[in-house]
Amino acid sequence: MLRARGIEHHYGPRRVLDIDSLDFETGSITAVVGANGSGKSTLLRILAFLEIPTNGSLVLDGKTIRTRADRLAARRTVTLVEQRPFLFSGTVTANMLYGLRARGCRGSEAKRRVAETLQLVGVADLADRDARALSEGEVQKIAVARALTLDPKVLLMDEPTSAADRSSTNRLYQLVGEARDRGVTVVIASHRLEEVYRWSESFVSLEGGRTIPVSPENVFRVEIPAGTGSKEVRLGDLVIHVVTDTTGPATIALPPDDLIVSTGSFSSSARNQFQGRIQRITDDGRGRVTLRIDAGVELVARITPSALAELALSVGSPVVLSIKAMTVRVF
Amino acid sequence: MDFLVEGFRRAVQLILSGDADVFGITALSIKIALSSTVLACLVGIPIGFVVGTTRFWGRRAALTVLNTMLAFPTVVVGVVIWGLLTRNGPFGGLGLLYTWWAIVAAEVVLAVPIAAALTAAAVQSIDPRVRRTALTLGAGPWRAQWAVAGEARFALLAAVVVAFGRVLAEVGAAMIVGGNIRNHTRTLTTAVALASSQGDFALAIALGLVLLGLALTVNVLLQLFQGRGHA
Repeated sequence: MLRARGIEHHYGPRRVLDIDSLDFETGSITAVVGANGSGKSTLLRILAFLEIPTNGSLVLDGKTIRTRADRLAARRTVTLVEQRPFLFSGTVTANMLYGLRARGCRGSEAKRRVAETLQLVGVADLADRDARALSEGEVQKIAVARALTLDPKVLLMDEPTSAADRSSTNRLYQLVGEARDRGVTVVIASHRLEEVYRWSESFVSLEGGRTIPVSPENVFRVEIPAGTGSKEVRLGDLVIHVVTDTTGPATIALPPDDLIVSTGSFSSSARNQFQGRIQRITDDGRGRVTLRIDAGVELVARITPSALAELALSVGSPVVLSIKAMTVRVF
Repeated sequence: MDFLVEGFRRAVQLILSGDADVFGITALSIKIALSSTVLACLVGIPIGFVVGTTRFWGRRAALTVLNTMLAFPTVVVGVVIWGLLTRNGPFGGLGLLYTWWAIVAAEVVLAVPIAAALTAAAVQSIDPRVRRTALTLGAGPWRAQWAVAGEARFALLAAVVVAFGRVLAEVGAAMIVGGNIRNHTRTLTTAVALASSQGDFALAIALGLVLLGLALTVNVLLQLFQGRGHA
């Protein structure tokens, strides 16, 4: 439905995106994850046809978007909820009506759709409120409602729950799920990995503007101490060494393919070594064996069948997991 | 000191008695100021919008030129317009010199940079998310610009008021191209200049009070409008 091919984007001499190919299928939810500055918001603005990539093309419904008229037409089927959404001065209802009118829906039909969506999102009581008098969380809800009421073919959302509480977040993802079921293509950029892993079907992980492979396993919410560079993060009884400038609540991921499994500790540059016991072994028959290891918290590691045989591992075997501090991803 | 007090007393008398001269001059001044402001804003606001919201080669130079033109000496504008409208000038055939239209032409030249520069500043200060939000909701470029104008409406209105104030209070150009002809091109400012040079302080003060009253009225209206918008 929406395809990006050879997207490269520069801000001055700085290259902020370099993506070979991305496909967003009709009726799917895709999460775009990555640290601040990884290119998530830029990618979403390009997918929303707000920015023209320096190189590359976008294909919407089989049509390559080339001209100004193409982009205007495309913007009328795609919408974006920005990370810090903007509400126009005026009432919430006026804000909701803006996009509908821009897309040619007026009169009682527009008002009906607005009332219906506000009800669905659970903010019907805000309909006549001045948009400038809303809290950050309310602004975010109205922005999402404003996007949903347009019934777009592609719904792009940049950190849509950053100011939402748990129940609002769940409600929002339910609504997004319902939109997906109606055939809407949803793309959500978020650093809340637990959330997007729960609600999304596919993932795009960005690092420095490029896509990198990432899996949803070994993802943890942690508190990162102040300072820069190498730090120690507590995860239950485990102490995990990470290298990041991020401070405060964050999500870390220990990619299963990057965890080294050994039968004893050894001298290496890896700052993280965790002792554990194998709980489960799964061979996918395609050259990948997944080990679930109790190391105080459950960790997943992937090795080859030959490594499994050579180390003579079985359920209950004690193992040591090693990973470099720099390989631990921080979101 | 007494002549000032006496001047004030007679000025109030002139205004309250509905003096035909005072009211005729005031009416002409308002007509010229309104016409000039409307024309200047019709030209200046779109220029300010383009300079303030679009990226093009020479934009910074355009902004510098606009800002420089804010300080254009009014007598220079008067002389240039006089040169254009005088019988031997390129537009001499129109017969506009020493008519109120000549004053309007000069005031428009003076007010366009004000409307343009203040509009550019107003729209530049608007959150860039306004335009992006409008576009992502499906607005075309014009509708998106209109959304920007809507968010900048108070600053744009202030630009209009400042332009109005400039043309209402201007004297040099009006004197040169209008000629200060009684009942034809005598405005509040040129009449004040004439009355004070003739020693008629009462009339000068009376007209000065009317000028101040007009400026005050326009600004109070602006404040009321802004207050209602922010309520």
